[in-house]
Amino acid sequence: MKKRPNLTPYWLILPSVIYLALFFAWPMVQALRLAVWDSDARLQLRAEASLDSGVTDWLPRGAPVEILERQGNVVSPEELGQANLRTEVWFYVRAEGANGQEVEGWVPETRVRVRETDADGTPIRGTIRPRIGGSDPLTAVYAEPSSVGEVVARIESNTAVAIERQTILELWYRVRGERDGATVEGWAPSRYVQVFGDDVRGRIDRGDAGELTLRYLRSMVNDRFFWPAFWTTLLLMAIIIPVQFILAIIMALIIQQQLRGNTFFLYVFAIALGVSELAVGIVWYAIFTQNGYLNSILVSLGWLSAPIPYLTANTRHWIIIAIWLAEIWRATAIVMVIVVAGLQAISQEILEAADLFGANLWNRLRYVILPMLKPSLQVALILRTILALQVFAVVIALSGGDVVTVLANEAYRQYYTLRNVNVAAAYAALILLLSMFSAVVYLRMVRSQEEVQG
Amino acid sequence: MLRVRQRALMRQRINRGLVYLLAILICLWVLAPIWFIASMALTTPETVRTFPKGVLPFIPFSFDTMEFFLTSQGIIPGLINSIVVALITLVLSTVIAAPAGYAISRYIFPGRDFYRLSILAVRAFPVVILAIPLAVVFINVGIYDSVYSLALMHTALTLPTTVLVIGSVFASIPYELEEAAQVYGCTPLQAFRTVVLPLVAPGIAASAIFTFVMSWNEVFAASILTVRNRTLPAQVLATLNQSSEPYQFAGGFFMMIPALIFIFFIRRYLFNMWGQISK
Repeated sequence: MKKRPNLTPYWLILPSVIYLALFFAWPMVQALRLAVWDSDARLQLRAEASLDSGVTDWLPRGAPVEILERQGNVVSPEELGQANLRTEVWFYVRAEGANGQEVEGWVPETRVRVRETDADGTPIRGTIRPRIGGSDPLTAVYAEPSSVGEVVARIESNTAVAIERQTILELWYRVRGERDGATVEGWAPSRYVQVFGDDVRGRIDRGDAGELTLRYLRSMVNDRFFWPAFWTTLLLMAIIIPVQFILAIIMALIIQQQLRGNTFFLYVFAIALGVSELAVGIVWYAIFTQNGYLNSILVSLGWLSAPIPYLTANTRHWIIIAIWLAEIWRATAIVMVIVVAGLQAISQEILEAADLFGANLWNRLRYVILPMLKPSLQVALILRTILALQVFAVVIALSGGDVVTVLANEAYRQYYTLRNVNVAAAYAALILLLSMFSAVVYLRMVRSQEEVQG
Repeated sequence: MLRVRQRALMRQRINRGLVYLLAILICLWVLAPIWFIASMALTTPETVRTFPKGVLPFIPFSFDTMEFFLTSQGIIPGLINSIVVALITLVLSTVIAAPAGYAISRYIFPGRDFYRLSILAVRAFPVVILAIPLAVVFINVGIYDSVYSLALMHTALTLPTTVLVIGSVFASIPYELEEAAQVYGCTPLQAFRTVVLPLVAPGIAASAIFTFVMSWNEVFAASILTVRNRTLPAQVLATLNQSSEPYQFAGGFFMMIPALIFIFFIRRYLFNMWGQISK
């Protein structure tokens, strides 16, 4: 192995590292976050009606509030469609004042009666509305579209104005509510507050800051499908994996014999490696459905007088058996491939030596082959367990996903049917934790055995 | 002595026969279900519903069921989406994985073992854990329900396997060949292009084919990440509970066809997908 410049290999692996960081590591972190982070649990309250203002306090989602004051603030057009968001419109007007001077500035839309619009409906002319009941009959004109801004002029009612442009602001509320027994008060955008009919009382509809929560994990565990899915997943793992390993080792030993027609056997043994999980489910459904092949064969042979319904709510154990067979059929190939690769790594001389000393097949298997296969079996066991945790389409094809359910199916159902993204993420996080737990257990088991022998 | 040798030969022949018998039994276990689904997919819908079922050649051979499936709503668009997603995944995976495979097969550098272990770990991780947060991200970014976002997801799923396979393909080409070419005056890049590339092309092609098959087969992420632009497996899954048996059987067989074809071509490279890269 010739030495090369130091940085070349890093440049070569860089694209794959970046890609897997973006599309593997980061989503994995996000899944865990989605499971335990409630992203709109709190509404932050500010000292002034401005995003630049410091956050002084917060209220939890759902808290009842009293609305003390209103004020407009800038909002980007894309945000206007949000629920609860209330707006106020301001016009930039130009007018001739009482003393003949020209006046221009911002006026609330509510103070202007629009008299004329252009072709597309934009207001272009109007008059100042009279103020009823106020002590001051004049309307204030502001330098900025803000009622706390500088007043640049005052206009008499009924004065004609030219409307040059308009702007839309989001209303902010100064709200008062209670948290942990204490009264808190501050400003917040209207989009987060649901206002009741009297315009004085409301509640926090959603927040703009998150907090840690066990809400989604509790929802997952309390769901009526959770424990059936959990135990079914574990049961399937327990009954599928041992059979697969026995069968895979047998298949691998057959391949190793280098029989005539070996390439054909290898091809057939490996076919399932490339078959879709969903296709496998449909295949075994064709076998186990009431009019399927199993009943056809048994009735044709005269062993049955009528077809048996295997895949019903009353025959749950038969559904488990069907899934068991389908998974053995489908996923043994991956174990076989790993075992064959491991066998190929064993020196042929060692096997020949064992044969020379008269060891029969069972003793060769027990004392030579299996110990040397241990690393391969370890890899295969970890991979297979993790894949078993994700079994999904086979279960849906054979049971519809409700009579018998598994963890991956529950993640799918929470996301796709119930639209509970966070609970779906909780299921995903659980599958991840089970995967890591099983990997650690297997690694530790093998290591402790080695230490005992060593 | 002659009798002892004859007995040994006899026992050897019996053992051989038993191994053949076992191999044939396992072949039957693998092939029988495929035969069943094929016979249901290649006959008339009426025959699918009869009981008890026969098998080829005891039933009328027909393409009616396949035609019924292929002309069902959403199947042709789903097929097109599946092919597009699989091709994008194939290209992205191979382009990103080839240099990485070369690096781990030709260079010994600090971090190499960590990188390889990371690749193996990624290979093992559940698709469920990735699909749901990626759906959230794609919605926020505005590329949800698109064949392109699904291809990005599938590339993440297939990249580890592709790196390992291509790495083992490069490892099987002796480095001395490159050195010999350079002795005769080639630059390293010329040596790579004229000597190594022709030798590894079949292996990389096999890896690309397997990537295609993995993307073609994938159903969970496709079901999560697409709604109107479903792939074929996602479309079949979404309609499974309302569809007829002829539709299901034809769909199952149709989805299986690429596996039957492609595994035949790439079977020689299967052992590189999970084993250690020996060097």
